[in-house]
Amino acid sequence: MTSAAQFRTAALAAALAACGMTTIANAADIKLGAAEALSGPAGQYGQSIKNGFELAVEEINANGGVKGSKLVLQIEDEAGKKEQAIDVFKKLIFQDKVLMVFGPTLSNSAQAADPIAQAAKTVAFGTSNTADGITSIGDFVFRNSVTEADVLPETLRVSAKVAGIKKVAVLYGNDDVFTKSGYDAFKKALDDMKIPVTTTETFAKGDVDFKAQLTKIKASNPDAIVLSALIAEGAPIMVQARQLGINLPFIGGNGMNSVKIFDLAKDKSDNLWVGSPWALGSQTKENQHFVVAYTQKYKAAPDQFSAQAYDAMSIVAKAIMKIKITGNLETDRKSLRDALPTVTHTGATGAFQFRQAMTKDGKPAGYDAKQAAIVSVTKGGKYLIEK
Amino acid sequence: MLEQQLVNALSLGCVYALFALGFTLIFGVLGVINLSHGAVFMVGAYAALQVVTRFGWSLWASLLAALVVSAAVGLAIDYFVLRPLRKRNAPHLIPMIATIGLAIVFNNAAQGLFGAENLRFPSELVPDAQLHFLGVQISVLEVAIVVLSFALMATLFVVMRKTQLGRALRAIAESPKAAALLGINVEGLFYLTSATAAALGGVSGVLIALYSNAVFPLMGQPMLHKGIAVIILGGMGDIRGALIGGLFLGFAEVMSVAYIGSTMRDAVAFGLLFIVLLLRPQGMFGKVLERKA
Amino acid sequence: MEWFESFWQVYNNLILTIGVNALLALSIWLTLSCGLLAMANAAFMGIGAYTASILTMSAGAPFPLALAGGIAAPTLVALAIGGPTLRLSGVYLAMATLGFGEVVRVLILNAESITGGALGLNGIPQETQWWHVLLAVIVVLLILWRLRRSRIGRAFEAINEDAVAASLMGIAVNAHKMLAFALGAAIAGLAGALNAHLTFFIGPSEFGFDRGVDILTMTILGGTSGLTGPVLGALIITLLPELLRSFRDFRTMLNGAILVLIVLFLPKGLWDPKRLRSWFGRGAH
Repeated sequence: MTSAAQFRTAALAAALAACGMTTIANAADIKLGAAEALSGPAGQYGQSIKNGFELAVEEINANGGVKGSKLVLQIEDEAGKKEQAIDVFKKLIFQDKVLMVFGPTLSNSAQAADPIAQAAKTVAFGTSNTADGITSIGDFVFRNSVTEADVLPETLRVSAKVAGIKKVAVLYGNDDVFTKSGYDAFKKALDDMKIPVTTTETFAKGDVDFKAQLTKIKASNPDAIVLSALIAEGAPIMVQARQLGINLPFIGGNGMNSVKIFDLAKDKSDNLWVGSPWALGSQTKENQHFVVAYTQKYKAAPDQFSAQAYDAMSIVAKAIMKIKITGNLETDRKSLRDALPTVTHTGATGAFQFRQAMTKDGKPAGYDAKQAAIVSVTKGGKYLIEK
Repeated sequence: MLEQQLVNALSLGCVYALFALGFTLIFGVLGVINLSHGAVFMVGAYAALQVVTRFGWSLWASLLAALVVSAAVGLAIDYFVLRPLRKRNAPHLIPMIATIGLAIVFNNAAQGLFGAENLRFPSELVPDAQLHFLGVQISVLEVAIVVLSFALMATLFVVMRKTQLGRALRAIAESPKAAALLGINVEGLFYLTSATAAALGGVSGVLIALYSNAVFPLMGQPMLHKGIAVIILGGMGDIRGALIGGLFLGFAEVMSVAYIGSTMRDAVAFGLLFIVLLLRPQGMFGKVLERKA
Repeated sequence: MEWFESFWQVYNNLILTIGVNALLALSIWLTLSCGLLAMANAAFMGIGAYTASILTMSAGAPFPLALAGGIAAPTLVALAIGGPTLRLSGVYLAMATLGFGEVVRVLILNAESITGGALGLNGIPQETQWWHVLLAVIVVLLILWRLRRSRIGRAFEAINEDAVAASLMGIAVNAHKMLAFALGAAIAGLAGALNAHLTFFIGPSEFGFDRGVDILTMTILGGTSGLTGPVLGALIITLLPELLRSFRDFRTMLNGAILVLIVLFLPKGLWDPKRLRSWFGRGAH
């Protein structure tokens, strides 16, 4: 080829490339961020959440993405530490310029990091934060994790009716935010339902022996034991109770809703009541699809954390469908925030919609989950749904 | 209820004592607060769990495995970390800091290798039988723990007081230099002590894992905190102190749950600890080590 | 300038945390320089953090007053427990102060109505500005530098070497130890108060054994010979999670490994003037 021909070919190639680049720019990827605990003690929850997100993103992109654009999820590790949650939020919002941020995993981290998102007018969407004082931070804070305050009264109501419970003993972990706020919710529900408490006992994270508390509980003669614990302590508690001859039903909070109880407590795991927006055994079409897809991809059964993350991604995708992406980050973030409260979705966790919360001074703030709880009881290594 | 709570206190106290025995042995002979003892405890439990689940060994075999693996880890810690520091005559606090670092490494390695969630021994292997007598209930496992801690304490005590080996160890505890001059194989005995203490830690790890139905990477940490309280109460470096201190702590905890209120449990336990430190800092059986001018 | 503004937006929390950690490392350095391994500084940080936050949140106090409270409270506690505790030495002191840390944690957990118990205090107003932290670090460095060069500083060194000999030489050992202990508590309390007003939220689990180990690591890593060491250590340890982001699970493990390796191979820490001089000063010989 002559040099002039070479030049023309090169120019043509460049022009074609430029057109190609414009086409790609039109279908620009939509960048979403997620700050989750992928290491540290909360690592197992963060991993589940990550799995749920990635499964949803894969499915949405396989179905053509959102308005032709692919979703790109950038997940960073915040190690369950509030300082790192803050740093990661800042990085995702200001440096990586994502459209919105999911997470963080723990409520403590959310309380520290969500104000950053609120001030930056970017949506922060928690899928596992259940404590108080999160959505009251401001109107850019969302969560689809149903709080204990919404679930526990339902669990108590159903179990009391079915098992004929008139008085209970309470046992909870008093040094962990999760179990303590679970206790607060239980206490309020018990007061509301006028169920007397025979005795209230506590334990700490890392305890191995609960016999002192259980002996005292047994002596106080309750009909059931209300237990706000994570599985790590909850399983030994159930085993030691059965060993001491306490064959009463246990009424558990969110922490006890995991198939690990069967593994850890084996034959001592029967007669545990839990409520949750999600149950592995729920036969709805959407949940069955999710369970099968998750098990296929990750070779393990999903849990509540992955289910809520999975649904959260779909909710956000639906909201993005409703808005117009202008390319101006500030405008787009605000449009997303405006569109999100209007989204309703039926996913693995059932019918979902948002409900606005209040700030401490009564002004409208962020958005909580409004979802019905499913109450189940354990029997023979399975959760059986009770109505 | 009181009788049952007393039984509970006995078994809890012996759980603490089992852990503290190895911990106090290292301080007694090497003069080092080994804050990696919790990690060795955890290593023993995981070693036993692995051989049971992977190779299908029996429970007794797994105890042996835990003993061997923990002893090896304890020996390695001594040879690679504590020995260089001894040679350098490092002040006592430096080895303690090093063992903190080792504990972090081991705990996180376990989390990386085995995951953070709780695992448990297959239920067919866990002795589940309960004994009932005089209106109280105690499991076979608890009886084993109680018997073992008393037996170990007695054995170690006899060894320390009545045997040649024990005299050599006590000489080293007094003054390693003088002991070396007397022809005692100081380094060799240090290795022996580290390995034995670690083995004790590992075996107690297995027993407590069976008792509490839980094996997880950070399982040694709460035990370490209790262990610190036990050896302060009982006297750092004293074998009897480990058992008596353990029983004392177990008793204080159970009784405060039963009669004061379980929220106050830790406050009572640490409050007692503080009072002991103020009034008799060397604990029940400890020696006052400081020279006064 | 725009580059700086976006850099600051992303990293300001990190940088201010370095400052707070520098204060903490210096507080432990102070007690170490007097021969005390007091593992209580994390607990003192907690006392300072809670006092300051309660003052701003419940009493509506202005920030300087809250800071003052955050400094005063741990100092008073240190003075109260110092008497009996400082009679102990070496490992006994370390154990006693570790136990004290646990006592504080349990007290915070149980005093629910004031401290929020396990749920912590949420919604602390973000009052800390960059210049607060900078000023605090500079002032503390100045105080410690002057202290080192004074008679008190030399007394600390003597006590560190051999407490008995020092007392025979007429140095009031107990009074000096108390000074180091209480001043260390004051600095740790200041750090706690500043940190609380930076991160919106504090909880009881942040001021326990893990935090104590972190602070100790920073000082040991950086070097105990002088004031530069702790600051350097704080810088490295704070940045490490950011720098090691790709290492995921193994980041904490690396922290532990660093502690062991430094103790074994660089006993005086990274910033060791003698060793550096021997490396770089060869030319002068």
